[in-house]
Amino acid sequence: MKVLDALFGRTKLRKPKIEALFALSTAYLSMEVLGFKPSGRSGICFKPVESSRFSEMQSDLRELLKLSASETGTVCQFQTDEYNYEWVILSDDDFEDLVTTTHLISETVIEHDFEERLLCSVFAFDRVYFIYNYKEGTFYPFAPLTGRKRDGDLEFRLRSAMESELPIEKEMEKWYPLWGIPF
Amino acid sequence: MTKKWQHDYGLAARMFLTMFLLFVVYIVFIGILSYAGFGVVPIMFFAGIMLFAQYYYSDKMVLYSTGARIVSESEAPQLHGIISRLCIEADLPKPRVAIVESSIPNAFATGRSPKKAVVAVTTSLLQRLNQNELEAVLAHELTHVKNRDVMVLTIASFFSTIAFFLVRYLIFFGGGNRREGGSIMLAWLASIVVWIISSLLIRALSRYREFAADRGSAVITGHPSHLVSALLKISGAMERVPTDDLRKAEGMNAFYIIPISRSSIMALFSTHPSLEKRIAALEKISGRMEMR
Repeated sequence: MKVLDALFGRTKLRKPKIEALFALSTAYLSMEVLGFKPSGRSGICFKPVESSRFSEMQSDLRELLKLSASETGTVCQFQTDEYNYEWVILSDDDFEDLVTTTHLISETVIEHDFEERLLCSVFAFDRVYFIYNYKEGTFYPFAPLTGRKRDGDLEFRLRSAMESELPIEKEMEKWYPLWGIPF
Repeated sequence: MTKKWQHDYGLAARMFLTMFLLFVVYIVFIGILSYAGFGVVPIMFFAGIMLFAQYYYSDKMVLYSTGARIVSESEAPQLHGIISRLCIEADLPKPRVAIVESSIPNAFATGRSPKKAVVAVTTSLLQRLNQNELEAVLAHELTHVKNRDVMVLTIASFFSTIAFFLVRYLIFFGGGNRREGGSIMLAWLASIVVWIISSLLIRALSRYREFAADRGSAVITGHPSHLVSALLKISGAMERVPTDDLRKAEGMNAFYIIPISRSSIMALFSTHPSLEKRIAALEKISGRMEMR
């Protein structure tokens, strides 16, 4: 069908996969063992659109986050980055809560029919981020250095170390750099 | 669960019809050439090699002819940042990014496959557009990459190119015996007719691919209005650009987001739909996005 889509110029965006997110709720322990402590923060990045239904979803999200904050103690914060993408930034020292809330937010966005606007979610560790690509349902490491450079060595090492526990993106050209992560 | 506004079945049907007509014209052309006693296979072989080279080296040729320069992450952080995010959204490998020194605000994409793609913008485009508009234009170009427009248009123009060469050079083969002269005349006339009809069809196809890329930009960014304002800015700026730059740029029209025209060419011969039609189509998408 991909061939036909290209032939007729139909642009389809892939549906997000969110179940693989949970792989991180155990894999973070191995990260700790390797010396990369989770910083207790994660973020969901999505592109806001011009639609009244989108604002509805945003207020629903706020409600939901207030509710889950009282249960798990996850603190959340909305922020727009330099590329006009919106971030829901979560802070929680309990990493499993972080993963569960990230999953919950992703699910809510999908339920509101804005699934194609989900770009990625990001989990911060010491010196490195793990980025979850919704379209692929895979993670990849992103270790930014100064001057828009990446610590490739560290990223490769993490791939080999984490491969058995996390679904790591196999195609290296899909390890997209993501500059301007606001946390 | 794809959304209705993301599809335009009319557009797909028109594309199919155009491609089908091209196919018919080409089949008839092959028939006439073989009837006139021409070895179709060697002609196809040579044209095939030529077009394949053109397709295979499209990125290098276009970069060379436009003077585009590949830029790194640190040289153009904003441009790279926008493209990275659009590529995640569109599920494309990140293409190379190039900048062209030019006073004409424009952008193009080329390359034989998504992995070999190059997306280029002019310096003037970077100066004139705001971030949202730039993003919309880049999403339009990435849709060309995703739809493999370089390949589609190369294949579509295969026999048209053969016909063009026959029109130009067949006349030199004349002067043999009379029977051969007659068949050369037949082949020559057929070539002219095929060349004209196929050129029109290819241009129609190219216009449909533009509509598809506009739609793709709306799907990827979720903001059809950003592309509208970018198109208006680009076309407004284009009326005021100096002419010697235009002459250089003319050959590149089919790849640009907005073509450069010195006179008002007939719409039929244009590689791009008119601005009014593009904006109308985008506004329709915008309306349907809100309604769904």
